[in-house]
Amino acid sequence: MNVQNPKIGPGEKGAARCPGAPSTQEILSHDKVQAPPSITAEHYKFLGDEDIAYDRYITPEFAKLEYERMWNRTWQWACREEHIPNVGDYIVYDIGAQSFIITRTAANQVKAFYNACLHRGTKLRGSGSEGNATDFKCPFHGWQYNLDGSLKYLPCQWDFPHVDTAKTRLPEAKVELWQGFVWINMDEKAPPLAEYIGPEVSAHFAKWKLEERYVAMHVIKHMPCNWKFAAEAFLESYHVIETHPLVALSTGDANSQYDVWGDHVSRFLAPMGVLSPHLYGKHTEQDVLDTFTLGDRTVLGDDKLTVPEGGTARGVMADVLRDVMTKALKSDLSSYSDSEMLDCYSYNIFPNCFLFPGISLPMVYRFRPNPKDPTQCIYELLFLRPIPAGEARPAPAEPFTLTLGQSYSEVPGIDPGFGGVFDQDTDNLGLQQEGAAASKKRGLTLGNYQEIRIRQFERTIDKYVGKP
Amino acid sequence: MPGTYTRVLQTSEVPVGTKKAVDVGGKAILICNSENKLHAVSNICSHANETLECGRMGRTWIACPTHGARFELATGRAMNPPAVRPIKTYPVRVVDDWIEVEV
Repeated sequence: MNVQNPKIGPGEKGAARCPGAPSTQEILSHDKVQAPPSITAEHYKFLGDEDIAYDRYITPEFAKLEYERMWNRTWQWACREEHIPNVGDYIVYDIGAQSFIITRTAANQVKAFYNACLHRGTKLRGSGSEGNATDFKCPFHGWQYNLDGSLKYLPCQWDFPHVDTAKTRLPEAKVELWQGFVWINMDEKAPPLAEYIGPEVSAHFAKWKLEERYVAMHVIKHMPCNWKFAAEAFLESYHVIETHPLVALSTGDANSQYDVWGDHVSRFLAPMGVLSPHLYGKHTEQDVLDTFTLGDRTVLGDDKLTVPEGGTARGVMADVLRDVMTKALKSDLSSYSDSEMLDCYSYNIFPNCFLFPGISLPMVYRFRPNPKDPTQCIYELLFLRPIPAGEARPAPAEPFTLTLGQSYSEVPGIDPGFGGVFDQDTDNLGLQQEGAAASKKRGLTLGNYQEIRIRQFERTIDKYVGKP
Repeated sequence: MPGTYTRVLQTSEVPVGTKKAVDVGGKAILICNSENKLHAVSNICSHANETLECGRMGRTWIACPTHGARFELATGRAMNPPAVRPIKTYPVRVVDDWIEVEV
């Protein structure tokens, strides 16, 4: 599927870094509270420089291959555990035409049933639904299943002598619980999730304990592009200077760090509270501080912050954020380094999960294809906040849905600046989808370093769809 | 012309996060207290006429325990299959610690 690019430059491929700018790790080395080894680790690997054909973003044939060979073999989070806190609680998770009832069957046990009656296939629960059940009863003829999936009742059993009721049970996908998410995998031979993620990154998350956070905001946005285009827009900081010029004033974009581990995990570390290398010499440290944009700028209040003589915007922001967010979140944040307080960490767990475990931007993304149109997708944005100390876990936020043309600024309670940044991404993605179809050059070209996560992502797509 | 409100329950009988079925003039009504806001909705699912009172209540909805239809508490709107039609909602108010419903 790949197009060979004849222009290959000299030198060791992938070794070049943004000239004239400190690396992410050099920036972190000046912090007052030093980052732990999980953050100071670097894990880049050159993975090729061929163009990647556009067909995979456009054609129903490629989408079909993804459904048949990739989505049904990979780990995906279906919901948060907090969505189904009590036995019998359930929520429906769909991926393509596949649908699962995710239900808590015991205090520490969750099952994922294929959401189709074994009689004539009717979905036992509607897509997008959630609730509580003592059993799952088909709305068509009333076949009824116990919470454990076994058949509870078959109306007019005399007419089904050929059905072995003792052996009749709803088929299940594999389930694992990790970081407060319920993960499912349709492949009975799939490796355990810990093996799929790998020991190094599993260890990174031991400290984050996302299971101790709660869903404070949940947006579902319908996007005008293939799910991979949408996901890939969030795999790099390279676009920041052109797409989000205001964000660039306080983001180390061209000197962000990129890491890849195996086939399923990648990460970027974008240092915040520092000027973009693109803008060196054009702004002061005070400018950086003044324009620092955050997911919840509101928690900072109206006080004007000032960079002291010889100080840095990053240093001021680290102190202020720790102080203000400790109070706002009623959580003890003293064990977190400046980097963990400030910086943007984006982990991708292949295929469609993005975790931002940092404190200032505690986001989760999920991307799913639109089963009716490969040039559209469903993107979800969640904020996972720490549960305030001493308080009960708040119920998860209800999802707020935005259609194709709607702006993030319409989400109740969203920071207007933050909503605007996401709109800028959406605007590009519609143009990219159309341009991919219009282009005479039939593939996309990637940077060796800043776009390594996209390279790894597409390479893993190839590995799955290439395996019958 | 203002409607007629009927006293149905004391507020203490429906703590936050709970619901209680009442009968008002022959109508089966469910009083729901979700996030400290009271709602009065029909207790009968618009899909197959099953009662909603044992269903799970979310921040803004109630789910039918029988087939899983879900309704918005504020408007009665059906949120997912198998229901399409809404359930009826009723004005509700609190007077002297009594919950009153207009039917």
